[in-house]
Amino acid sequence: MTAPLLEVRALSTGYGRTPVLHEISLELGQHRRIGLIGPNGHGKTTLLRAISGLIAPWSGDIFLHGNSIAGADPAKIVSAGLIHVAQANALFPHMTVAENLRLGAYNKRARAKSGDTLEQVYALFPKLRERRGQDCRTLSGGERQMVSIGAALMAQPEILMLDEPTLGLSPKLKAELCSAIERISESGVPTIVVEQDINFMLRLTDYFYLIHQGQVTAEFRADQSLDNQKIMDMYLGLD
Amino acid sequence: MDWIDSILAAAQPILVSGIVLASLYALMATGLALVWNTLGIFNFSHGIFMTLGAFVAWQFADARGYGLGLSVGIAVSVAALAGLGVLFNRVLIAPFLGRKDIVLVAVMTTLAGAFFLENSALLTWGPRIKQLERILPGNIKLMGSAISLHEFLIVILAPLVLLALWAFLKWTRPGSAIRAVGQNRDSALLLGIRVNAIYALTFAISAALAGGAGVLLGAIRFITPTMGTEPLLKAFIVVILGGLGSFGGTIVSAYLVGFMEAISTYFFGAYWTQAVMFGLFIVILVALPRGLMGRD
Repeated sequence: MTAPLLEVRALSTGYGRTPVLHEISLELGQHRRIGLIGPNGHGKTTLLRAISGLIAPWSGDIFLHGNSIAGADPAKIVSAGLIHVAQANALFPHMTVAENLRLGAYNKRARAKSGDTLEQVYALFPKLRERRGQDCRTLSGGERQMVSIGAALMAQPEILMLDEPTLGLSPKLKAELCSAIERISESGVPTIVVEQDINFMLRLTDYFYLIHQGQVTAEFRADQSLDNQKIMDMYLGLD
Repeated sequence: MDWIDSILAAAQPILVSGIVLASLYALMATGLALVWNTLGIFNFSHGIFMTLGAFVAWQFADARGYGLGLSVGIAVSVAALAGLGVLFNRVLIAPFLGRKDIVLVAVMTTLAGAFFLENSALLTWGPRIKQLERILPGNIKLMGSAISLHEFLIVILAPLVLLALWAFLKWTRPGSAIRAVGQNRDSALLLGIRVNAIYALTFAISAALAGGAGVLLGAIRFITPTMGTEPLLKAFIVVILGGLGSFGGTIVSAYLVGFMEAISTYFFGAYWTQAVMFGLFIVILVALPRGLMGRD
């Protein structure tokens, strides 16, 4: 049996002395598009931050291609191809779109291909080509999100983690970003998506985990004929 | 129209002395601003970096030291200060990164480092005043006032150094990384930028700039263990007046402060200048709390 692409095993962590995640386990492998859903403040973002090395695990382990990356340097994790697009992220506000994208290809592995990748990013988000000389802080929320995702693509992701990529966007922009993300996973990049909108979750993932109070409380196949009401009840803790 | 004549007569020496001061402040303040913009701390060792730049250059260059000539002295001094910057970051800043009160902690640790080095300089080189040779001997006449060629060199060199620094920050990979880390540390980490290495590099550049300023100043003023104290204070004024986070503001502000100081010295005398400067500083900050070109 080959190791899953990414496996989180009984991971606990938190901030200061406050625990957030309690022995959480999940894996990306059999399903190449997984999702995390659940109320705000229950640990989805913390989980992604722990995976990408921004905070250290207290216990448990994280495996990338079967090798432990728990507590590793973020730069090492990025070099291994695990790229995390943080939530509502303005990247570098006082730098131009092009500068932001170029910084996406900072790691050695991505540097050589950055020219071709930049063209692919501009093809995926034509708006960014128009705005390439503009400072990021002057962009709209949707355009900033495109820059964040574009910079992540510049890093040559082998696994892409997206934290609420459509947060605070209009329905039209949400749909636009969703199809861009669909195209990214169709191009062969496995994804982990945090999303609040159940319909987008069903579109963007094959399998998703409900995270409640720092634990996985339910798992769903996205192609199951899902009872939305049941999910919502669990989401709201009514079940 | 006597008063017009007297103002015109005053304008030339004010312009000349103002621009020399301003150039030195620009070099000092940019180093200080670089560390603030990138690490979010104020480095109170920045003044002693300048002092040590002058002492190290003197030690290697002067006949009473190793007598290796001025160019060796300057090269060794700038390199040594870059190294010292890395060391200071490692010992006084890095252990406390990530703490919520890092700004306050850094004030204490860098002040402690400054006192330590100031007294070390006193013990090593003694209280007797020293002076570096001028890089270019002789004088020239500039707009009717005679100034030394060395001062003229300072006026030319400072903008060139700042231009080189700007180009480095704007066009090179490590330069972009320095700006990126200052603007969004987490995102920089998530793109694989080694933030701690960038902090060390920032400190090295900043300390080397201070050391270079010390070498330049050490030939027109006397080198003493406390020679960096006043320039440090002025650099703080410059950085805050210019607006935190803005290099452009820092540079504009350096030239403004330099000229204001020259004007005040001419009309009110050196004795009152400090008070006048701080008075103006407070007035400007009341009107523009974010400084001249500060970012949100």
